[in-house]
Amino acid sequence: MAIPPPPDAPPAAGFGAQEPDDPVLRLTRLLACAAADPALAGVLLFDLDPQLTDSVALLFAAALGGAGPLLMLGAQTRDEDLWTRARLRQAGGRVSVSTHPGPLIETDGREGPPQLVVVPDLTRLSVAGMRAAVQLLGAEVAVVEHTGLRHIARPRARWLAVCRSADAGRLSPHLLDRFALRVSMAELRGSRPQRLLTLLPSVSGAGAGHIAQASVTDGALTRVRALLGPDTGVRRELALARLARTLASLDGDGAAEERHADAAARLIGLPVAGTPDGTDPEREPPDSPGPSGADDRSEAPHDGSRVDRGATERPAGQGRPLRGPEPEEEVGSGPAAVHGTPFPEDEVSVPRDFAPLRNLWQRTMGPAATRGAVVGSRRAKDLRDLAYVATVREAAVHQRVRRTDRFTIAPVDLRSHLRAGASERLLVLLLDHTCRDDAWDWAEALTPFLQWAYTGRAAVQVIEVGGADATHELKADSFAARNVLDPRVLAALYRPAGRATPLAHGIQEAARILRAAFQQHGSALAEAWLVVVTDGRGNVPLTAGRGGRPAGHVGAAGVEDALKAAARIGAMDRTRVRAAVVDPAREPYGSLPFRLADALGATVVAGRPAPRTHESGVPDER
Amino acid sequence: MSHAASGVHILPYSRVVGQDELKLALELNHLVPRIGGVLMAGSRGTAKSTLVRAFALMAQSELPVTLPINATDDRVLGGWEIDALIRGEARPQQGLLEDAAISGMLYIDEVNLLEDHLINVILDVVSTGVLSVQREGLATAKHIAFGLVGTMNPEEGGLRPQLLDRFGLMVTAERLDVDARHRLIRTVLDFEEELGKTGSDWLAAAARDDAAIRERLAQARLRVRHIPVPDTVVRLCAQAAERLESVGQRGEIVATLAARALAAREGADVVEPRHLQRVLPMALRHRRPESTFEWGVEDEDRVKDLFEEV
Repeated sequence: MAIPPPPDAPPAAGFGAQEPDDPVLRLTRLLACAAADPALAGVLLFDLDPQLTDSVALLFAAALGGAGPLLMLGAQTRDEDLWTRARLRQAGGRVSVSTHPGPLIETDGREGPPQLVVVPDLTRLSVAGMRAAVQLLGAEVAVVEHTGLRHIARPRARWLAVCRSADAGRLSPHLLDRFALRVSMAELRGSRPQRLLTLLPSVSGAGAGHIAQASVTDGALTRVRALLGPDTGVRRELALARLARTLASLDGDGAAEERHADAAARLIGLPVAGTPDGTDPEREPPDSPGPSGADDRSEAPHDGSRVDRGATERPAGQGRPLRGPEPEEEVGSGPAAVHGTPFPEDEVSVPRDFAPLRNLWQRTMGPAATRGAVVGSRRAKDLRDLAYVATVREAAVHQRVRRTDRFTIAPVDLRSHLRAGASERLLVLLLDHTCRDDAWDWAEALTPFLQWAYTGRAAVQVIEVGGADATHELKADSFAARNVLDPRVLAALYRPAGRATPLAHGIQEAARILRAAFQQHGSALAEAWLVVVTDGRGNVPLTAGRGGRPAGHVGAAGVEDALKAAARIGAMDRTRVRAAVVDPAREPYGSLPFRLADALGATVVAGRPAPRTHESGVPDER
Repeated sequence: MSHAASGVHILPYSRVVGQDELKLALELNHLVPRIGGVLMAGSRGTAKSTLVRAFALMAQSELPVTLPINATDDRVLGGWEIDALIRGEARPQQGLLEDAAISGMLYIDEVNLLEDHLINVILDVVSTGVLSVQREGLATAKHIAFGLVGTMNPEEGGLRPQLLDRFGLMVTAERLDVDARHRLIRTVLDFEEELGKTGSDWLAAAARDDAAIRERLAQARLRVRHIPVPDTVVRLCAQAAERLESVGQRGEIVATLAARALAAREGADVVEPRHLQRVLPMALRHRRPESTFEWGVEDEDRVKDLFEEV
């Protein structure tokens, strides 16, 4: 079943015979493939203009044959919103409560269009949402055991997620790997949503209904491996092979061949050479490897299947050539089209968020958070976060005593969820050991912050730079402590100083921790303090800190990188983050802590007491 | 309320390509359930979960009892059937731990992402052998036992040592070479294609091969109790554990049980040192002071002479 050409798009022949240059056409083809094959259920679009997300979701829903209401997941998504749904029913004058499969799984095992899940920003998705994606995407079976419900079925829901390619490195590769179809849609920037919506009639039902599944030739599999390169994961290979198969199936071809693999690669933006030249990419190293190490050249078919040159020819002048100018490349081959890479996390050097798929274990001192993991139930004090199943159980105990002719839930039966405490406060302590000398005990300056953390039951994150026993002296060390009473916090305060000061890496680490904390705790995190104790004299540039290798000439790069990293924290949404720089008052360069505080948007706290002076006015020598 | 598995198709066990170490560990645990379970660690996309499900389908003709990472405690410990309660009937609903005791195995996918409070519940039950439920009008205490089978991707975090120690064996998924990867992808795609056919010869042959493995394991399971473990092998195990700085004695016990299971699997009449040598990494790699699960040539060298002397 081929998709008819959209009204304002270039006429499209079969999938294997037409190169998908138009990003809109590529997108609609991808969505049709995801709709047609449940193994391609996850679609991740990089750099999609946010205003287009809704239109793309509508296109996807149309390709699925008209999915029900879209399920939008975001930072506030909780397990209870996903897996079960409590329904109140009134019949015969009675009201009853029953638990049913939640929106993520309610279309499993049923006829009709599957649920469409939309994640407008994958990096901001809550931990519950990310864990749901890991559990369901590409899984053979989904097992749900939640509040009285047992559900075992093959997941049918399709996922559409959007993410900035620059942020991909922050996400768990475990999560990213679950999205079978990943493609950059940066080219769509500037498109109007209305343009996408004109395609609705043409994609409607494109992936619904029975489609005869094509077989996959060995040649196509070999080609897939060559396109992805030798170091790629099995899931990526399998996904590309399945995409090639689905393209062939939708095109009515009985078998997926090399040309289908090439078409699939182009569809997701992998570099593909223009025409087969008879060379084996695995034997001859490429002159200019693609982003994921993929060879850029085509190869002769491995199983003698035909190669459709028309399928691989493309107009010249599009994209960049991937190989040096060699005479044999010029015959019948234009430079290959290159769209954004579908695997940006392989290239970006942004540090990964720590354990993004794990719930944190910190605790609260204030009113119970409504976002922690459910660990039990208790008598409800208000009508928020009610535990329906526990409420019904409680009510059931009293039915005989009440002697009513119908099941009655009294206010005293109401139970609410008891949740694992989520920290409401966080202290991020960045300690630069190289700024402390024997004459200065910085604990005095830090005491107010440590007291705040103690009384506020704050979780503590300590980042250390310049320690003599650092794991790697060019990198910052960090650890998470449950509270300030953790013995590691005290030990960190009195660590001997080393030689290098990777301040920029430390500040970048602080930014990562703050970002992760606000993502994992969401609105439950009420307040965070970032306290930086440093003289500002960073002497390790950020690149050296990340890579762990010394740079050549350093100069002021360590200081400048620290200021740049600090400016990024300063640019964060600062309604709940406060920052302070403790100034050790070291000369020369005594102004550096103030410059750092300016970049951070922090206040400066005098670290040393004002120097005592003799009556003559001369400061004590220390 | 229970929703039966629908449309669930798992690659037959006999058709899973590679991962011989993982298969061996599952089979040994099946032959001698006292081994206490298997932890499988490996990077993403190495067919760990598929293998566990395929093994359960092959060995027991049903999917394993699975504890999902976001399970609620009423489903883990057991509770009441809500629909029945509303009708005025008090009908207990069995929890996953009791289900696992019946099948002998509890499978936890992404075990390193499991909530802390669930880990505490499981540790309580596994270490005491008693499931005690005193909540919501339930007051029961039962002796139960089951083996834990877990899969995890170490990139996403580790496991608490107490839980780690409860897995009898630990294996790491191997990285496949080019040929094996090709065969793996070929097999998966063929399987998906064959599912659409009626009367598929491919599926029938796989079912026959699965049945043959099941029969071979059943025979080995009958034999295993009668296979003696010579004292020399037990002593060898203690010496090897000491050299490898294994923490506690559980590792040695498990290693001996696994060596016995391996002997039964191979049809040997007595446990030999080579059987022990083969299973030593599985039994001890997660019971050493350093928390890495590596097992390299240096580790082999530390005990090599022990086995050469025998």
